[in-house]
Amino acid sequence: MKPKQTTPSTSTLPPKPRNLFPVWLAALLALLWLIVHDLEISFEALAYGLADMGEYFSRYRKPDFSELSRYLDLMKITLATALWGTVFALVVAVILAPLAARNLAPHPLAYRAAREILNFMRAMPDLLLALIFVAALGLGPLPGALALGVHTAGFLGKFFAESLERVGKGVYEGVTSTGANFPQIVMYAGWPSIQREALGYLLYIMDRNVRMASVLGLVGAGGIGLALHDTLRMFNYGQSAALILIILGSILIIDYASAWLRRRLS
Amino acid sequence: MSIISIKSATKRFPNGFEAIKGISTEIATGSFTVILGPSGAGKSTLLRLMNGLETTTSGSVHVTGETLSKSNLRKTRSRVGMVFQQFNLVERLSVVTNVLTGRLAHRSWLGSLFYLFRNEDIEIAQEALARVGLTDKAWSRADKLSGGQQQRVGIARALAQRPKVILADEPVASLDPVSSEEIMMLLREICDRDGITVVVNLHQVDLAKRFADRIIGMNSGRVVFDGTPAELSPLTLQTIYKRDEIENDTNLDLALSYA
Repeated sequence: MKPKQTTPSTSTLPPKPRNLFPVWLAALLALLWLIVHDLEISFEALAYGLADMGEYFSRYRKPDFSELSRYLDLMKITLATALWGTVFALVVAVILAPLAARNLAPHPLAYRAAREILNFMRAMPDLLLALIFVAALGLGPLPGALALGVHTAGFLGKFFAESLERVGKGVYEGVTSTGANFPQIVMYAGWPSIQREALGYLLYIMDRNVRMASVLGLVGAGGIGLALHDTLRMFNYGQSAALILIILGSILIIDYASAWLRRRLS
Repeated sequence: MSIISIKSATKRFPNGFEAIKGISTEIATGSFTVILGPSGAGKSTLLRLMNGLETTTSGSVHVTGETLSKSNLRKTRSRVGMVFQQFNLVERLSVVTNVLTGRLAHRSWLGSLFYLFRNEDIEIAQEALARVGLTDKAWSRADKLSGGQQQRVGIARALAQRPKVILADEPVASLDPVSSEEIMMLLREICDRDGITVVVNLHQVDLAKRFADRIIGMNSGRVVFDGTPAELSPLTLQTIYKRDEIENDTNLDLALSYA
């Protein structure tokens, strides 16, 4: 065996690899300008409009909290809608995610099917789903919870599946080698290995669902959004302002709570 | 009586690499066999054929009299415990839960969905933990243990299966010399006292010589030596560790002079 002789050349560097970043940046800026031009977006109108907007927002100056207890009840309904939607998403995701993880799926067909179902659920906007469910089930929080559940099950299932795919091959092999079957491998090697990540994703989805549940009321899916919809339609700015503040406050609280919980977990 | 018999087995991986190029061998019941060979010789693949973690491309594998096939894969695995180089424990689970996974094959999936185990399973797990000397660590998380301790949990998991055979794939390759010694002694003792057949893949020639009843030497997918440790001469070591493309391998001579 002859060791290969290499003479290190210290005098010249190899040619510098070409950096295309400036070209891409220029292309992006050109595209943006073209879009503004094409859609005839006028920044002048925006400047004039600012004054009008200021006048419109000033109508919300005096929030009217006279019906506070009713509003808080509505907020509770909205939170319950979000919670039920999240639980529904969790149940569906826990069932589908192991099938949608390439390294776990018992059969390639099961993998494809689970993936496509998750993709489909994710692709359906929850606002659209809420409209459909409201039409089918009538006004109220149930269609809202279902809409949130279906849409976020798609997300949660994908997140879980990707986490399950990242678990080391050896961990699955260790449990497989004892003669465990598919559900046992999932329960004893899969979920325990990703429990922290999974809880983090779940909190994120809960957080998102609270925000979305308030909006879903606007299409008739109950809760505080429906009340906001009504007061806005009646030009009742004071009450609208109060409702918006309550929504904002709740979202802030949920946001901090879930951030705190996630910090505790890691 | 042989508990495992392999009949003209070959294994070709999807990428075209032929890891096992026709091996026929028998493993005697209650024996302690060490498979020696350089990295990439196919030792791991051969071991993994014995519990169906890999399937043969041609030829067949028989364990406790049954031919390995898709339909009896899980049943066979439940009778054959496996110990891994990287321990392959579920790190977030407690030591005792890891050991209890050795009982899963005997339980329905519904009960195990809720982490419910029967008292007899828990007793078996306790016994296995006592056997490897880790009773006091039962409720520690598996990843809080040292390498040697984790490997002992791996062995306890295999013991909890109440297996006929334990396969150990490089069980000491990630351990320090003292832990390696302890693990090998534990495996030998399990073989002697419980009559469980043990097959171990090893890198270390000295450990193989000291612990094995029988040594199988492998090189590039073939068995090149099969005999007792006493029969393992420097010359046979040369054939086991021979590197294909190199004729006068001074590094090989140097390495083997210490073996």
